[in-house]
Amino acid sequence: MIRDITIGQYYPGKSLLHKVDPRMKLILTFAIIIVIFLCKNFFSLGVIAVTAVVASALSKVPAKMILKSLKPIVIILIFTAILNVFYTQGGATWFEWKFIKITEKGVFTAIFTMVRIISLVLISSLLTYTTTPTMLTDALERVLSPLKVFKIKVHTLAMMMTLALRFIPTLIEEIDRIMNAQKARGADLETGGLIERAKALVPIFVPLMVSSFRRAYELAFAMTCRCYTGGEGRTRMKQMKLSLLDFFALFACIAITAGIIVLNHFFTAVI
Amino acid sequence: MNYAIETIGLTHYYSKGTPHQVAAISDVNLRINKGELVGIIGHTGSGKSTLISHFNGLLKPDSGKVLVDGVDIHKDKETLRNTRFKVGLCFQYPEYQLFEETVYKDIAFGPKNMKLSDAEIKERVIRAADFVGVKREHLNQSPFDLSGGEKRRVAIAGVMSMEPEILIFDEPAAGLDPKGRKDLIKLIADYRKQTGSTVIVVSHSMEDIASMADRVVVVNDSSIAMQGTVDEVYSRGEELRAMGLNVPEITEIFAKLRAKGFDVPANVYTVDQGAEIIRSLSKGRCAE
Repeated sequence: MIRDITIGQYYPGKSLLHKVDPRMKLILTFAIIIVIFLCKNFFSLGVIAVTAVVASALSKVPAKMILKSLKPIVIILIFTAILNVFYTQGGATWFEWKFIKITEKGVFTAIFTMVRIISLVLISSLLTYTTTPTMLTDALERVLSPLKVFKIKVHTLAMMMTLALRFIPTLIEEIDRIMNAQKARGADLETGGLIERAKALVPIFVPLMVSSFRRAYELAFAMTCRCYTGGEGRTRMKQMKLSLLDFFALFACIAITAGIIVLNHFFTAVI
Repeated sequence: MNYAIETIGLTHYYSKGTPHQVAAISDVNLRINKGELVGIIGHTGSGKSTLISHFNGLLKPDSGKVLVDGVDIHKDKETLRNTRFKVGLCFQYPEYQLFEETVYKDIAFGPKNMKLSDAEIKERVIRAADFVGVKREHLNQSPFDLSGGEKRRVAIAGVMSMEPEILIFDEPAAGLDPKGRKDLIKLIADYRKQTGSTVIVVSHSMEDIASMADRVVVVNDSSIAMQGTVDEVYSRGEELRAMGLNVPEITEIFAKLRAKGFDVPANVYTVDQGAEIIRSLSKGRCAE
């Protein structure tokens, strides 16, 4: 059923990771992602992999859910591994048959890339597992607020994102209802060729557009009635305050980065 | 003779297979006779909308059967598809399903899906439009230019034009003003009279149901709590109140009048009925 789709993948909890200030989480996740690409050998990558696993454990999100976030990238993983194994050549030859030649370097690069991608996905999905979409947009607004200097309306953008997130479930419900109504009039949404199927969507999307605009007008009207005029001078119900935990998280990330730079320096690079 | 619709042990769960699994309707056994006008009432979330979505096969029962004219609608794909045309379902706020460029095309959408001939489609569109009172000159307009009440009529005509044997309305009068409400109820009653089709009306307005239904089915807590004639069901005010349903205001007023010692009947469910009784009483008094 279409209404079972969940938006975002927030997993409610009270773990340490949930408690870290969303702004700090956003910046640190971003920083770690950059650091992942700085890793040059298995030792520094190992640090990242351990970080990803430890952070996952700290988040107290069930392992099953965390593994689920890896499911969509399985194909990408297999594909990159195959490409690397066959196309990266160098070092001792391990296997040779006709035009296929697998070398030491190829296998190492393949493993390296796979671990890198998995860590990347794990760490970035931890952010969405432990932060609600609204908190995330809120944090984004504040992190980006210095852009005001360049006359970019950060608040408006963040408000748009929040509203979009808010209305996704509503629209899904609406699609469900319109689909049922048209099906009741004998609309055939399941069979036929590509063109016929595309045509069959018209009775769904026209009413959806109409009602989206209606909702947008109503919402704008309601916001105006409550004296909403944009970002200037607005105060917030939920104040964000940095706590000791946030500085601890910051310190941990700095330590990880430093460790990786040192390890990169002392061991030879794989790629 | 077969029943128009018969459900046997009909059960449907939401979020099946998850810890949130709840029975939307459970073990519903309902029989609707041909040509009958049945009102289904129930509190919000009682499962009445889920129930009617099974009647034309939009939802598939998790267990149990739905028989339309004695045939299991989920027997095969062909039967299911034909059921959509046999059982017309008009959803709440049907005007939100309008999409075509013209009123004519929108009303013709259903018959077109039935693969009827153009001549037949035209005949049906005109018939349905005339019946609901959509003016001929509106047929070539965009449905989005019409007023709210007119849009609803067009949408209802869109279902009626399929000329289903069974027509189901979910909260047909929701959001209409009192006059629109009254007109619509009359429209539904007339439709039944003219075509002899089976009509099912879902509503939480006890008064609307009282004014037209032959039989009332009360849905509560995902199953059928009571059924019977309007008098039979509405006389059990206490039980209805316990289910979050209120007998019509006019019935309350007459109950209070009776309590004060006036000799008025207890089975008054619509304002029109009430007005009639008061009028005849005051006439009687004048004659004295």
